[in-house]
Amino acid sequence: MTTEQATTPRTRYPRAQCEVSVALCTLNGSQWIEELLQSIAAQELLPDEIVIQDDCSEDDTVELIEKFADQAPFAIRLEVNQFRLGSTANFATALARCHGRFIALADQDDVWYPIKLRRLIDELELDPTVTMVFSDADLIGPDGQDLGQRLWDARLIGRTLRKRAVVPEELFARRALTTGCTMAVRRRAVAASLPFPEALENEAAPMRHDRWLSLVAASVGTVRALPESLLGFRVHPDQETGVLVGAQLTHALGRAASAVFIAPVGQSNESHLARANQLEAAAERANEMGDFEEALTLEAIAAHHRSRVQTSGSVLDRLRSIAEGVRVGAYGWDRLGMVAVAGDTVRSVRPGRGAQSEPAVHSAPALQGEPAPENQIEGS
Amino acid sequence: MLRKMKVMMVTDSLQVGGAEQVAVDIANSLDRDTHQVYFCATRTDGLLRSSLKSDVEIMVLERSATWDLLKLLAFGKYVRSEGIDVLHSHGRGTMRFIALCKALGIIQAQHVFHDHFGRLHLDRSAGPGMKVPLHHGVDAYIGVESRLCRWAIDTVGLPEAKVSLVRSGVDLERFSTAPAINLRDEFDLGEGNLVLLMVANFRPQKDHPTLFRAIAELAPAQQESIRLVVCGSTTADPAYFQGCMAMLERLKIDHLVRTIGVRNDAPSLMAGADAGVFSSKNESGPLVILEYKASRLPVVATETGEIAHAVKDEGVGILTEPRDYLALADGLAALLNMTAEERAAMGERGRQLVIEEFEQQVVVRQVEAIYDHLLGLSSQSSDSGKSNLANG
Repeated sequence: MTTEQATTPRTRYPRAQCEVSVALCTLNGSQWIEELLQSIAAQELLPDEIVIQDDCSEDDTVELIEKFADQAPFAIRLEVNQFRLGSTANFATALARCHGRFIALADQDDVWYPIKLRRLIDELELDPTVTMVFSDADLIGPDGQDLGQRLWDARLIGRTLRKRAVVPEELFARRALTTGCTMAVRRRAVAASLPFPEALENEAAPMRHDRWLSLVAASVGTVRALPESLLGFRVHPDQETGVLVGAQLTHALGRAASAVFIAPVGQSNESHLARANQLEAAAERANEMGDFEEALTLEAIAAHHRSRVQTSGSVLDRLRSIAEGVRVGAYGWDRLGMVAVAGDTVRSVRPGRGAQSEPAVHSAPALQGEPAPENQIEGS
Repeated sequence: MLRKMKVMMVTDSLQVGGAEQVAVDIANSLDRDTHQVYFCATRTDGLLRSSLKSDVEIMVLERSATWDLLKLLAFGKYVRSEGIDVLHSHGRGTMRFIALCKALGIIQAQHVFHDHFGRLHLDRSAGPGMKVPLHHGVDAYIGVESRLCRWAIDTVGLPEAKVSLVRSGVDLERFSTAPAINLRDEFDLGEGNLVLLMVANFRPQKDHPTLFRAIAELAPAQQESIRLVVCGSTTADPAYFQGCMAMLERLKIDHLVRTIGVRNDAPSLMAGADAGVFSSKNESGPLVILEYKASRLPVVATETGEIAHAVKDEGVGILTEPRDYLALADGLAALLNMTAEERAAMGERGRQLVIEEFEQQVVVRQVEAIYDHLLGLSSQSSDSGKSNLANG
């Protein structure tokens, strides 16, 4: 099942009217927003516009933006939502309003290094088949001090990304690897991603805007990972999306790993169905753009998620299905894939066990779905 | 009197394709006073056999796998018995095959590798499977674009003296003598329409969907004023071809497009077309743009590859960003808005540019210089290639 029909044309995304847009979503960000905007104003390559979508801030975020707009060296196009949309839908709205040939995403609490935009845009200019570029970042504390750690390492994706100049759609289908504020996207990839399908907001396994954008960008073009740190990524208690560090991370990983094995079957099934719907929606977009091979890859991974839904059949049937998935490489060959195999095996043998421990699972980030905060350990 | 230098072009197949066409053109245009020419397709025969001059010795090896030992030995035996001096391979698989022959001591001939790799944007890496044969089994590296040459030097680590840039050329004679096919009659296109021709096998790299979407973007009256003939293999990637056909239906432009499969009379098709189009997402050449120009066709194409970059400011075609169907639609609309005289003038400028810069004889002299240098017949390396590389 797909969320869209190929015969239903999507609303046309208008042609580019300028070179570089920055899409920024805000929500109660008065503590950090000025520093971010100043860092964008200090870019070696200035954007033509910042498109800001405020999601009903209750502090003075909007006033601070308006004050900045008076002396900004580029256009500030602020819009305040009438009701709260949530992060993913808010970014969809902001992206739809962007005029740029290239669109960089921003989070309200970060600090961009002066070279950030130029570096990302240069990489996009270099090769017109590249649809997205994203970088690493330095983690900084609430007061801006360097925490001595890189974002990719904190999200346990450094090894995966540093050995690849190009990140294929298959990897994005299996795992969230990008953080919106590190990326710049070519307009036609944004056009292919809009409107965001409803399937993204499924509570069982929500897919955030940055992973969706990456998935579509990789399906309709090439995504490059730059192992350079181009911004300070602020880690603080109030952030909606972020990373865990130190003991928090260790604890969350432990909970996530155990959730793989004890998650109730119903919850796991919902996650797989949600993910399958999302991947099929991405496959639809790829098909529409003529990227048939990439669409087939995504459809195959979606089909594997559906095959992991345990509805009936004997234990032997389920184990056979898992073995077949391993044989054809459907789980992938990385550690997360192996954990998923182990989790599926445990649930196949003891499908009812998890239902007894449901409350504990709900508070834990799950490898099968998207945890909050951030999707740093989210898996297949 | 010195004996002629024996040169063998080696490709995967003789089926129609850009790299294969370059190999055939070089084989046909090497100086016959000083060269005896052989051609080996290591896997399959194909339509290009009929394009080779009658004095070219042809062998088809029919190897079934990359490391087909029996065929390897048979190939080595033939090369030794004929006393081949230079093996000129096209394509990375073929290069590895010959490099292995050299590594095993089966052959001692000089090995020139002609790299046409068109996916450098996706794969800039050079693992042991690439570095080892290039370092130990290749005596000279020819890149058809400067990016490839830079990759060979910077990533593979080949010495600059081994690396030459030789842009693809076109054998004008093929296009001067080809009789025009009346495409309107042959493919039932109706009168009064502008006939666009795209010569490209149905492979994802050629990105037919971007062209189809561009046509779908045109105003209805403009759409109805064109017909598109697509010439190229429909069996190279069946799933891609089927996807393209489904897309044509979905976009409701299937009545504007004729797919005619692979042909060996592309020059005659071009002579009968009104304009050449090309929507590839990534190319190292692409040779077909030169062929359009040699046929005096005005061109609308995506700007990809050495040739497109070289001609973009020459006013001989309309070039747009690859994969951008809106830009390509603008390009098509601009072509439709030109008068017949303006289109003819664009085609004529293109032909003149090919004569001046891309004529096959210019290219083949560079290649001959590389052979001479390898065999110690000349003290100078391919100076033209080096200077091009430095400029590129």
